[in-house]
This record gives sequence, structure tokens and C-alpha cells, in this order.
Amino acid sequence: MRVSFEWLKDFVNISVTPEEVSHSLTMAGLEVEGIDTSVGGDSVFEVNVTPNRPDCLSILGIAREVAATYRLPLEMPGDDIQGDLPASDIRVEILNPELCHRYTGRLIKGVTISDSPEWLKNRLEKCGIRSLNNNIVDITNYVLLEMGHPLHAFDADKLSGGVIKVSKAGKNRSITTLDGIERELSGDALLIMDAKKTLALAGVMGGEDSSVTSGTKNIFLESAFFAPVSVRRASKELGLRTESSYRFERGTDIEFLENALNRAALLIRETGGGIIHEIVDVYPEKFKPATIEVNYARANALLGVKLEKGEMLKSLERIGIGVEDRGEVFHAFPPAFRRDITGHIDIVEEIARTFGYGNIPARLPKTILSGGVLNHKERGINRIRETVRKTGFTEVVNYSFMSPSDLDMISIPAGDKRRRHLGLRNPLRQEDSLMRTTLVPALINNFAYNFSMGARDIRLFEISKIFIAETDRLPTEGLRIGGIFYRENIPSLWKESSQAFFIVKGALQSLFEEMKIGGYTFKPSEEVFLHRGKSADIELKGTKIGFIGELVPDVAESLNLKVRKPEIIVFELNIDTILAFLPERLTYRQVPKYPFIERDIAIIIDDSLTAAGVMDVINSFRSEFIETVEIFDCYKGGNIPAGRKSLAFRIIFRSGKRTLTDSEVESVHRELVEYVLEKTGGELRYRS
Amino acid sequence: MDDLFSLKKAFLEEIGSVDDLAGLQLVRTKYSGKKGLIRARLRDLSSIPPDKRPLYGSTLNDIKNFIEETIRNRELIFKTREKEQRLETEKLDITLPGNFTPFGRRHPVNQILSEIKDIFVSMGFSIEDGPEIENDYYNFEALNIPKDHPARDMQDTFYISDDIVLRTHTSPVQVRVMEKRDPPLKIISPGKVYRCDSDVSHTAMFHQVEGLMVDTGISFSDLKGVLELFIHSLFGADTPVRFRPSYFPFTEPSAEIDIGCIFCSGSGCGVCKTTGWIEILGAGLVNPRVFEMVGYNTDEYSGFAFGMGVERIAMLRYSIDDIRLFYENDVRFLNQF
Repeated sequence: MRVSFEWLKDFVNISVTPEEVSHSLTMAGLEVEGIDTSVGGDSVFEVNVTPNRPDCLSILGIAREVAATYRLPLEMPGDDIQGDLPASDIRVEILNPELCHRYTGRLIKGVTISDSPEWLKNRLEKCGIRSLNNNIVDITNYVLLEMGHPLHAFDADKLSGGVIKVSKAGKNRSITTLDGIERELSGDALLIMDAKKTLALAGVMGGEDSSVTSGTKNIFLESAFFAPVSVRRASKELGLRTESSYRFERGTDIEFLENALNRAALLIRETGGGIIHEIVDVYPEKFKPATIEVNYARANALLGVKLEKGEMLKSLERIGIGVEDRGEVFHAFPPAFRRDITGHIDIVEEIARTFGYGNIPARLPKTILSGGVLNHKERGINRIRETVRKTGFTEVVNYSFMSPSDLDMISIPAGDKRRRHLGLRNPLRQEDSLMRTTLVPALINNFAYNFSMGARDIRLFEISKIFIAETDRLPTEGLRIGGIFYRENIPSLWKESSQAFFIVKGALQSLFEEMKIGGYTFKPSEEVFLHRGKSADIELKGTKIGFIGELVPDVAESLNLKVRKPEIIVFELNIDTILAFLPERLTYRQVPKYPFIERDIAIIIDDSLTAAGVMDVINSFRSEFIETVEIFDCYKGGNIPAGRKSLAFRIIFRSGKRTLTDSEVESVHRELVEYVLEKTGGELRYRS
Repeated sequence: MDDLFSLKKAFLEEIGSVDDLAGLQLVRTKYSGKKGLIRARLRDLSSIPPDKRPLYGSTLNDIKNFIEETIRNRELIFKTREKEQRLETEKLDITLPGNFTPFGRRHPVNQILSEIKDIFVSMGFSIEDGPEIENDYYNFEALNIPKDHPARDMQDTFYISDDIVLRTHTSPVQVRVMEKRDPPLKIISPGKVYRCDSDVSHTAMFHQVEGLMVDTGISFSDLKGVLELFIHSLFGADTPVRFRPSYFPFTEPSAEIDIGCIFCSGSGCGVCKTTGWIEILGAGLVNPRVFEMVGYNTDEYSGFAFGMGVERIAMLRYSIDDIRLFYENDVRFLNQF
């Protein structure tokens, strides 16, 4: 809210600079976010008023805080209407007193509608309200800014039946508001009506039909209290927020509204003449201040201070809260403008605020020592992140959203779990309207973006949640790690001929090794967006934990990279499952003491057999002396017949109990070779 | 005897012309090999008349030792020379770059997040996690933000349905923890949160760390102590800190915490809007209404809660002026951290 320093001075005799006042307001909870000095010699504060302090949505409200801070008297604006006044011709009926707690009004006859005086226009404009060249409307706005209470002026000659009714809309479902827009209403919206028609949407905006125009002579000025919830709902339903609704929905001062009415009536008479009539005031249930009991010791304990009784009470009185000492406790009576104060903690807050947060000492809590822990999951995620990072992948973080077209881009089939996505009701953009069910589309976008920026060696990964819709409960949230890899085939200093697929597979294997996860297998993948011959589903003890593979040509081509056959590798793994497979504890195994003997075996087999298949055969050969088997060559072409390939394995023999002799290893190895040849139908590459 | 002297002479001549280990080996074989000239003389010793044999034998032995030693010396020289030559010729251009795959970088937001977690963990806080898609109850109502309350305007919310929202803060985690566990509690809940807002200082998704401490006798003073310690750990021990009143529905008294502007050291600049202060945290004593909703005894227990935006801290740390950079995921940006 914009607060003019010069206007503030009407109510409190400030002798310090605007900067000092700005600072003390900030330190009292009314944060001044900026000071505008561009308006003719004045300083206008931009005050951030929190939703609990509607009493500060006015010059007077801010003045009250300034007066309390500097212990200065508050000068109230004149609102005393002298003399015998003619009785009002207009009656008021509140049909829904639960939504309108008080309604006052004054008829003013014979006013002259004109331009407002300069000083008034000036103040309005400084505070961000445009003058409408209509003194009546300008004055209601002026009083709204000054005293914080929204007012409304009707053209009294447009009212029929001499009555104002405050009632729910019921069947009257439409109104053309001041801005000329016809609006549909809900039956619960609170309306101001006369005998025949709808005059205004209570607390939000007046109607066009009853508005004050240049030809208006007689006006009826309204100052009422509408229930905050009712105004908020109406304003939200219509998407119509006004200075009035903003204040009503936060809560206005049910007592002070009469002063605002009078203040406006006097200003109208001053600028436009006219005869002010007697007040109409329907106030079914008078305001009674709440009684809040506060324990002195508890208040001190909660704040960590040692304030004297008197000190506490005086500070509250200074901000308008009535107090009564009752021994160990005191009673506090918040005024009508502090509707936010309802419990003892609200009083404790006021004590803290007036004492000054800066004066409360800082200390470290006396508490039982507890071991702060990164929990199991947190530690696991950190290790995964660190390992993947060290294999050369850079971490990205994407929004949790995806576009409706993202799943089509990678052809996720209907019926796939990833099609069970959630939609946002109010997305910022259509491209961000769904919650993601896979990390892949965003990673593809990250790749394409960086490619377009000139990067040619791109390795990215992300650890984030995905969301799968469920019926009748919150969605399933699953933690995933996804990654993307692309490296342009360009001459480089240190030739590395590995295929992209194996570089990424290697990164994942580093991850599994680091996490001490064994028993993982790579099997042909069923993901339709991955190259059939260059992809794998990764299983851990029979459970699928993810996939890795090259994007199919269709997807790669859709990126318009202008690269022939780009090899773009993506992967995604389920971190929840990986964490579930982490070994609980590690147990030490003795390091081998005896020497090893090494033998190689190179066989030529049918190309359809996989390395893992042959490895399985070797591993199924029972010998206590085989320590490790490692593949070190895979070769096709040359003197290897078409449809066949050569695989070479290195086998380490070792006993945990003694030194093996060459001859016993030789005999085991020979048996192994025969076994492998028989099982694979292969032949030895080098006949000895 | 003469043949012995001519043998030595011949040896000296030959070895004099040997220039490498290979030539040396030939000489060695010729003279001191198993079928070499020395051995032959030794074998023929019996043909020397007995009276001359001792002198002949000792002379032969001297020559044998001389030859062997000379060869050994030569060998040592040649080997040394060869090593020298290797060191001289096997020369790399050591200015060529090394062969390595650079490590990837952690996202700057996650780097700061780790720092924040580490500080609180070292103070005995433990880390709690919760859903990002939440019930309205946990995100709002249990935190004293009823439907139709103006405080809902403080957070622009993404809705999935009337009752399901993208969490606007990580405070719902605190409620879920309090429902399950009794005090004392010292927890932080880091994670992603969502607000429908987008400009240079707002993104629709960002990261928060919120914390909660509940015990008997917890005061505003404790809140100040813990948060000052945190700020000093994160920004340096001489960073000025100030607490000023604010409003959050789930805390009371509520505070916003500013640090002295790290760009202008408090003298006023564009970042701090000339105030000299930068807001960094929101905090307060837990509102008793929140405790009532989870069934904690408000006479016995009190506590404090706090929350901060991780991107904001990262922006301050690295002088980043547009929050959206974090989500562009440009490697030229990411590789700087």
C-alpha cells in the first residue's frame, strides 16, 4: 500500500525523517519495501501490509503505529456533524445479518457534482488511485485511503421504494457493475437492493444503474460491515478484486465505520455543498471486545525475556489494547480494529513487536543432545548423485511438469503406467500442464537446448520425483534418476572408440559397483522409443529397475539436429528400488594370500550368442579354483567366418588354501575349455 | 707366455673398437664364454711344462680377471649411456592436455541445499521427506490457513483438484511428522515446492528448507540463537542479522530475518533496494493452533519453525540476477559451479 508521508503528518506530528519512520515501520512489522520520492516534495512509502493487519491499510492505521512507536498523540480527523439534521427518507433492512453485521448510511441532498479540488486529487494520485473528475466518487476513495473503510455512494434518485435491503442474491443472479460488465452471480452472493432492483454487489463493486453521475443531485452514502468470508467468496468467484473487497475480506472496523461515513459526508458538503441528513444505522449486534487472559510468566518464557508487569501492560495500551492486571495474569481487550487478536499468543506477539525483536536476546536452546542424521535414503541419494557426477554427467533440475505432447514424442503406449498422469487445473502454460511421469522428455529437451547452443559432448542427469495418478488417494511419487548422453564423432587427441551405449552402460555399472549392488542384468528392452538393437532393460534380482538405450531414429530426427544418425543414449532408473536393494551392512572378506595363475580362452561362436550367455556358461562350470572371469575381446570379421564372432576371456585361478601348481590349473582349464565348447557349440580360435 | 700377452693385446684392441652392448656381448663370448679363448687356455694348461705352469697359470688368471672386469666396466658404461639415451629420446610434449573425462557438476541449487542440510544436521536436526502433491488439509488447514482465508493469497497455488494441491511450502511435512511423533523434535524438511508465478525472481517450482524444533521451554530467544548460528555458518561469522515482525498463519510471533546486504555491506544498492538488508528467512514460534491440530499439549510444549528459499540463497551466493537460469539447464551455466 502507498502511504504519503505528508498525509501521515495530518495525524501525527512527526519530527524525524521519512527514512527513520520507514525504518521503524519495518521493524514494527510494516515492511517498507521502497520510498518513492518522485512525487512533488513528498515521500511515499510502499508498505507491505500482511493479511493479519487490515487496520494498517490506511493512512490513519499507519499513523497509529507511528504514534505508538514515537509515543506521540494521534490527531483524529474531524468527523463531528453539528446541528439538527433532517431525518432520512431511506430505510435500511438487513435480511442476512450473518453476512452484514452493521449498515449505516446518510442521505445528502442537493450536492453539486464537480471536479475535486487539487489537493484531494493530488493525494489520491500519490497513493495510486486515479481521480475520476467526480468529487463524490473521489471522496469515497479518499476516505477509504485515509481511514481504511470502504464507502459507496448511490444516486438517491435512482433508488425505488425508499428502502435499502441487504440480502443474498437468491434468484437475482445478475448485475451490471460500475465498470459496465454484466456479471453472473451465485445465489450466496450478498447484494444491496432497493424495492425493485439490485444496486450493488456488497463490498465488492456498485451497480451501474444506481451510480453517481455528473447529473446526480442527491446521494445516499453507505458505510457498512460485510462478513469477510462472504466478500472474499464473491470477489473470487467473479475474479473481481477492488480496493473495497481487499479491505472487507481482511476485516474492517465495525465501530469506526461511522466515523468514516461522517468524515466523507463532511468532505462532500465542503466540496459539493448539500444537506446532510440524519444517520441510518442498523447494528443488530454491538461489538464487544474479547477478553484474553495472558499469564505474565508464560509470556516472558515464550519470548525468552524478563519484562516487568508494568512494562508489558503499558506497551499494549500504547497500541490501543485495553489491559487489566489480575495478579499472575492480566486481561487484554483488543479494540475493534484489531480483529486479528483472538488468543493469548496474539498478545504475546504484540508484546514482542512493541518490545522490539532486536531486544530479545539470542541463545542456544537447552535441549537433549540428539544425533543429527542424514537418513538412509538421503545418504543413498547423495552417493548416487556423486557417483554419476564423477562419471562425467552434469546435474540438471527440471520443472516437475510436462507437456501433453511429451509422452507422444517418445510414443509411450496407451495403458502404460506413464500415461496415468495428473493435470494441473491452473497451469501457467499448456506445455507445463501435466505432472511428469518420466524424466526422459525433459532430458531430451535439455539435450536439444544445449546442442542448439553449440555443445557437442553432452552428458546430463537428473534426480527427481515422478508422479503416477491413483484413484481415491494421493498420487504415487517415485524417485528417479535419468540421464542423457551424446558425443559428436569428431577427431580428438586421445582416440576413444567406445560406442556411446557402452560409455553410458559403463557409467551405470560404476554406479552399481559403487553402491555395492551385485546381480544386475541387462536384457533386451521393451521400451518403444529405444533402438531395438541398442537398448536394455536393467533388472536387479528379477525386478526391472530401469532402462538404457539409444533413442529410435524417429525421436532423434524430430529434434532436427542436422546430424546423420545421431547416437543419443538415455537412461532412467528407479532410485526407490535401488535403495531397497542396498546391502544393510558390509562384511569383510579375507584378502587372498596365495598366488594366482592366469589362462585365456578365445572361442569362435555363433553371433547370436551373447557375451553374458557365454559368461553364464563359464560361471556354471564348477571349480573352486576359478576366482574371476573377465571378457577382454570381442571380434567380428577378418578371418572369422560371417555369422560368427570371437570372444576372449581371461580366467584367474586361485586357491584360498594353498599355492596351485601349473599342472593342476592346466587340467582344470582344459576341462573348462571342453565344457564351454560343448555348451556353446563353439570352436577354439587358436588351435594349439 | 707370449701367447698370453698377445691375447691380452688382441682383447684390448678388440674391446677398444666395441661401441655398444651387442658388440660387447660378442667380445665377452669370444674371450670369457664357455667356449671362449680363456677357457681354451685353461683347458690346455696341462700342456705347459710343469716348471712354467704356476707362473703361466697365475698370469692367465690375472688376464682372465682383467678381461672380465674390463667387460663389466664397459658394460656399466654402455648401460648407463643407453639409459641416458632413452631418457633423452623418449621425450613427450608435456604441454599436451591429459586424457580425462571431466567430472560432471552438481546443480548449484543442490550444492547450496547440501550445505544447508549439513549445517542443520551438525546441530542435531534430522531430515524428513514428504509428498510434493499434498492434501489441502496438510498444505493449508493444518497450518492454520482455512479455506477463504486471505492468507491463501500469500501463496499462489497450483490445484490438481479441490482438495489436492502442489505443496506451496514444505511445512506439510512438519505436520505429518508431528502427527506421528511426540516431542522433542528437531527436523528439517528440504524439497521442491510450487507456486503459480513466473518472473526474474519467481519460478513455478523452487526449493525450500523448512525446520521445526519442539520441546519444553523453547522460546523466541532460542529461535534467534539457532538461526543466527545458521546464518553465520552459511554466510560468515560477521554477517549482520536482524529479526523483524511479520506474519505467517502457522507461526506467532512471526518474524522475517534479514542479513546485511552482502553486495554493498549495508550501504545500500540495487539488490537490497537501498535498504542495506536482504530478507533470507521466515520464522516464528509455532502457532498453538497448529499444535492443537496435531494433539500436542500447548501448555507443556512450545517450538519454533523456519523456512527459506534455496534458490534465493544460491542467487545471493553467486550474484545470479535471474532465478530462471537455474531451470534453463544450460551447461555453460551449470559448469560454473
